[in-house]
Amino acid sequence: MDINKNTNYCNEKIFSDFFINQSKLLNNYIFYKCGNSNLASDIVQDAFLKFWSNCKKVIPGKAKSFLYTIANNLFLNEYSKSNVVLTFKNSQTKNYTNESPEFLLEEKEFGVKLQRAISNLSEAQRVAFLMNRIDGKKYKEIAEILEISVKAVEKRIHKALLNLRSEIENL
Amino acid sequence: MKDMKENNFLAKWLANEISETELKKHLSEGEVRIYKKIVSHSNQLEAPHFNAEEALKKLNLKNSRTKVKKMNFTKFMYKAAAIIVVVFASYYFIGNQSQNYTTSFAQKITFDLPDKSTVNLNADSEVKYKKRNWKNNRYLSLKGEAYFKVAKGSKFTVKTTLGNVTVLGTQFNVVARNNYFEVVCYEGLVSATYKNNTIKIPAGSSFKVINSKTKFEKTVTASGPSWIQNNSSFKSMPYWYVISELERQYNITIEFNNTLSNNLFTGNFTHNNLKNALKAITIPFNLNYTFVTNNKVRLN
Repeated sequence: MDINKNTNYCNEKIFSDFFINQSKLLNNYIFYKCGNSNLASDIVQDAFLKFWSNCKKVIPGKAKSFLYTIANNLFLNEYSKSNVVLTFKNSQTKNYTNESPEFLLEEKEFGVKLQRAISNLSEAQRVAFLMNRIDGKKYKEIAEILEISVKAVEKRIHKALLNLRSEIENL
Repeated sequence: MKDMKENNFLAKWLANEISETELKKHLSEGEVRIYKKIVSHSNQLEAPHFNAEEALKKLNLKNSRTKVKKMNFTKFMYKAAAIIVVVFASYYFIGNQSQNYTTSFAQKITFDLPDKSTVNLNADSEVKYKKRNWKNNRYLSLKGEAYFKVAKGSKFTVKTTLGNVTVLGTQFNVVARNNYFEVVCYEGLVSATYKNNTIKIPAGSSFKVINSKTKFEKTVTASGPSWIQNNSSFKSMPYWYVISELERQYNITIEFNNTLSNNLFTGNFTHNNLKNALKAITIPFNLNYTFVTNNKVRLN
């Protein structure tokens, strides 16, 4: 993507490209926060609409952070405090043909415990962890998007792993 | 080790900045194994489906509506009248809508009410209330089971099809399912109405109606209901109720001999391990359980 001083987000083509490039990851980000895929896609739509109506105010090079700021604010406004329960689709690429039914059941149970434990993480830890695991973002990239230091990202991921392990062990 | 904490070594290991061998120097075999399992399982997770092209098309439809059109003065006046009516009507409509919270089987949620009272909602339950004027009109309806921590303020009423519960500021649990109505007060004072009778329930006591028989007890010593800690406990409860609660927590169906329905059960079961939960409710009655399918169990 070419970011130059003349990138004009009021131009429909440029805005559309921006949308195609950023919308899925933004959708993931909001989903990691609230666990509700419908709310996530609503917020993505509204965030881009707001971005579009403020397109004159966008500083070239800061478009992505502006978009995320809008989305975060919409999230805070819309989202009443209910408990987060994320349900993911499992890609299940492993083919268990030789494993015993007990093993399969244990693996399935572990998966359920893990999802619950992920839902119980603090929002900060959960978002950082999932951006790394599912989106494949490096710590530096996560730090830029969340506008925190790399060390802060490491701390959240470290704590997330600690908490996941301790919650799974306690179940 | 203070060193290692500052290093966030788990994060560094996850990013392959330190090796597994290095990690094994500071953690037990078992711990390393679990972390590896967490990583391998979380690698299989997928984010929800999102089709950017389709979403963009949807966006464009909305987009064109925001284009500004020129209009003459009379048209504007008509539009203005319409806008005022629409705004007025929508304020009334929006303000008056109910806020709903529903849980399905094997699901629990916690949420705040507009006055910062909190509600923990157990599985297969529903709460409805109107947000508007909440501070002066704290009135909600409940189906199922919920634990309330009510902020001090105006009268707070929980309405169920079996009876109502009114409080001023306190913590209490209400169950209203089929033919079971129970109110337990953990703090403060609660009054419940059941079939035109009003009963006062002070902290540490409970009021139950099972199979149309009422029971008032002063034996509650816990500080809150156990289901919030993912454990259901029962004291002399009919077996049919214990079974239905287990079904709700695990989203399964259980078949059992009806002659046992009204036997009284005292004990508890966890929400986190189905086998242990089934053992907990079958052993006291000398029963066995078998899985007919993945989510259907038969007791014999």
